[in-house]
Amino acid sequence: MSGYLSGLLAMLSINVVVAYAVFMPASAGLLNLGVAGFVLLGAYTAGALTSLGDWSLAPALLAGAATAGLIAFLISFAILRTRGIYMVLATFAFAEVVAGVLLNIPSLGGAAGLSVMAYAGLPVVVPCAAAVVLLMVWLMRTRFGLAVRALHDDESVANLFGVNLRLTQVVAFTIGGAIGGLGGGLLVHQFNFIDVQSTGVLFSIYVLLYVLMGGTQTVWGPLFGAVFFTLVPEGLRKLSELDPSLKFLEGGRYMVFGLAVVLLMMWRPQGVITRTLMEALLPGRSARRTT
Amino acid sequence: MQLLQQIINGILLGGILAFVAVAFTLTIGMLNFLNFTIPALFMLAGMVTWALSTAGPHFLGLGWHWLPSVMVGIGVAVLASLLIERFTYRYMKARFGDATEHALPLVSSLGFLIVFEHGASALWSSDPQRFELPFKNTNLEWGGLIFGIPHLVSLFLAIGLVVLLKAVLERTRLGRALRAIAENPNASSLMGVEVQRIVPLVYVIAGMLSAFAGILYAFSYGTVTPFMGDAIATDAIAAMVLGGLGNIWGAIAGGLVVGLVKVLAISTFGAEIEKIPVWGLLLLILIVRPTGLFGQTQLGKGKF
Amino acid sequence: MSEALTLDGVSKSFGGLKVINDVSFRVPEGSRTALIGPNGAGKSTVFNLISGVYPIDQGRIQALGQDITGYTVPQRVRHGIARSFQNIRLMPHLSTLENVMLGEHHRSHPLQLVGSARATARARRALEDAGLGTYPGQVVADLPYGVQKRIEVVRALMAEPRILLLDEPAAGLNSTETKDLRLLLERVSGQGITLVVVEHDMPFVRHLCNHVVVLNFGSKIFEGSAESVSRDPLVLEAYLGSAQVMEGGHA
Repeated sequence: MSGYLSGLLAMLSINVVVAYAVFMPASAGLLNLGVAGFVLLGAYTAGALTSLGDWSLAPALLAGAATAGLIAFLISFAILRTRGIYMVLATFAFAEVVAGVLLNIPSLGGAAGLSVMAYAGLPVVVPCAAAVVLLMVWLMRTRFGLAVRALHDDESVANLFGVNLRLTQVVAFTIGGAIGGLGGGLLVHQFNFIDVQSTGVLFSIYVLLYVLMGGTQTVWGPLFGAVFFTLVPEGLRKLSELDPSLKFLEGGRYMVFGLAVVLLMMWRPQGVITRTLMEALLPGRSARRTT
Repeated sequence: MQLLQQIINGILLGGILAFVAVAFTLTIGMLNFLNFTIPALFMLAGMVTWALSTAGPHFLGLGWHWLPSVMVGIGVAVLASLLIERFTYRYMKARFGDATEHALPLVSSLGFLIVFEHGASALWSSDPQRFELPFKNTNLEWGGLIFGIPHLVSLFLAIGLVVLLKAVLERTRLGRALRAIAENPNASSLMGVEVQRIVPLVYVIAGMLSAFAGILYAFSYGTVTPFMGDAIATDAIAAMVLGGLGNIWGAIAGGLVVGLVKVLAISTFGAEIEKIPVWGLLLLILIVRPTGLFGQTQLGKGKF
Repeated sequence: MSEALTLDGVSKSFGGLKVINDVSFRVPEGSRTALIGPNGAGKSTVFNLISGVYPIDQGRIQALGQDITGYTVPQRVRHGIARSFQNIRLMPHLSTLENVMLGEHHRSHPLQLVGSARATARARRALEDAGLGTYPGQVVADLPYGVQKRIEVVRALMAEPRILLLDEPAAGLNSTETKDLRLLLERVSGQGITLVVVEHDMPFVRHLCNHVVVLNFGSKIFEGSAESVSRDPLVLEAYLGSAQVMEGGHA
């Protein structure tokens, strides 16, 4: 596989992981505009462990995910007291606080960022992404997944049938944080570098947008979103390389993404992959299975 | 002396932030959503003004005088704002009833933000561009302290504009209509308020405020980039939360506070530290006292 | 006869408005009790108070021998109270089976696979018993109104309640569906489940219920048998207006 393609596949895998970090709370109705915070936590933890602590990669990645998950758990109680716009702003604020703290730890590089030697190539990144997808598919097929989706559609009724709202949301938020941390760990070891500047507000916005674009009704939506976001702008860039008259496509390749979001919000706000679509595509399953 | 100078710089930055914060808080108060196109409008006005007033091979590099460039810059931002209103708020209201029950306008505005920022990148490249300041001496010296004229202008304009806004909201029929819409859009239209005509007005005002801020920023700091709106938006959102969502005076005060904290923190500790106290405080406010430090009643429902 | 459900001096205000005013009534165990009254009488609010959606301001609620006034919402379903809703409140994006299986959530293990044959068996049976066996996999938003309404009842039954609160279960159903619903509810009642039904469909109520509570403007104006309710002057006045009652009770 060429270096270009393997780089693309690695990027796709990481985007998939981060997508599910946003999907988990989003499927419970919690919009997270600060996933960069968890990604940074995981990246710096894992990166510091391999570069300063001489850990090997796998335990470092786990530690990164665990750290982000723990902090997600701790912060969830506070954040879940907010609603709607306030929650969006609170997650946004959280990411800024994380960025602020990390910028001020000189041993981690400060504003210049953290460089690490250990490398996570395709043999690490792709299986991790696959594992995350499988985990999410399994999780959404359990009673917990049903509770999450019920909570998203109608909190009050879910509560009336025994769903513990707060607990379910805390768990969803924590899992999302941990997955974000894993994504961060993969990110820093794929590019051998992480800095606060490049993983900030815009990063969180992109991820939230491509997850919502894919759709949060089913577990396959974020996968679609990550694929679209990774491949379409790249595809456009490649096209512009092939044909010089299409040069504008290169500069504007993310415009297409933005436009897709706007149009989707107008015509199909539930996202591309909906429950009804999945039923239509895979009809045999509906009689037997329920997801 | 140094401290005093920094305080002045902080207040002057705060003036610019105040404009953007008011634009955010107005949209949240009136239309119940966080409008992420505001940083894009900020940027559009600034970049179009730069492009037109600077002769060169770039798009719109016509080398005009600064005044018509500014007018066009503001015009473009306002037009863009109206376009966005058409395709988000109005469209969604028509299709889904309440346009703000979901996060749709928020998400849509994020989409537009991407479109505009990358559109600008495509047109003018993502490199920072030097803005040739049209005034030879843009600083006022007084007692050893330096006041940037654009900063001063923005501070006074901000206060003046908001006094005007407050007066309109509280004393005119238009203002009452705006407040009625903020409380209950459906009841308002039943009672004869022309929601159709007033909602675009809010978008226009938000667009103008963002445009003023963008142009003043360009004049004050001499650079423009397609992503110049991002940092400003982050600070302006902080200012808005500090002042309480929907609270216009709060947004101005918040803008000044954030501007001060930012400049003082940078000059005292270096650039990176100010995020922690500002956003830590904000997180606390959102959790404990969402109405902000100034605890005014919010206009509208403050949903998304 | 013991009571399944007792309300004792229950009052509830929203803002300054007292919507439920010192309401007391008893629902005998195993009975089929109707809760009726003109629009705005507070019937759905009473259901919300019983199921715990709103806390009561004054009074007590007892269910199956326990004072449940302070119980949280999940505690009440675990105690044996389940309900359906006036406006359909199914999860629109979930399938019929998934919606129905939510009903037994309080008795299930969080990591149980919802799709497994064993997990779905009970839900499938329940749907078939209710005559809805053809719809298991369909997303409910695509189903007709009458079907959705009955799915809601099945969902409540899956909670294995001892008290079943049904808020206008027959509203919007055609005559066949109404009859099927009534037969289903009679079967359910035959298993010992206490029914409390809010309804406007009087023939439905008369056929099904043996005990009636009437509310008007947030207060109880009648409690008794289904036979005597249509003769009670207060009830007639509430429904028809006092002028006609004065004219000798022609209704």
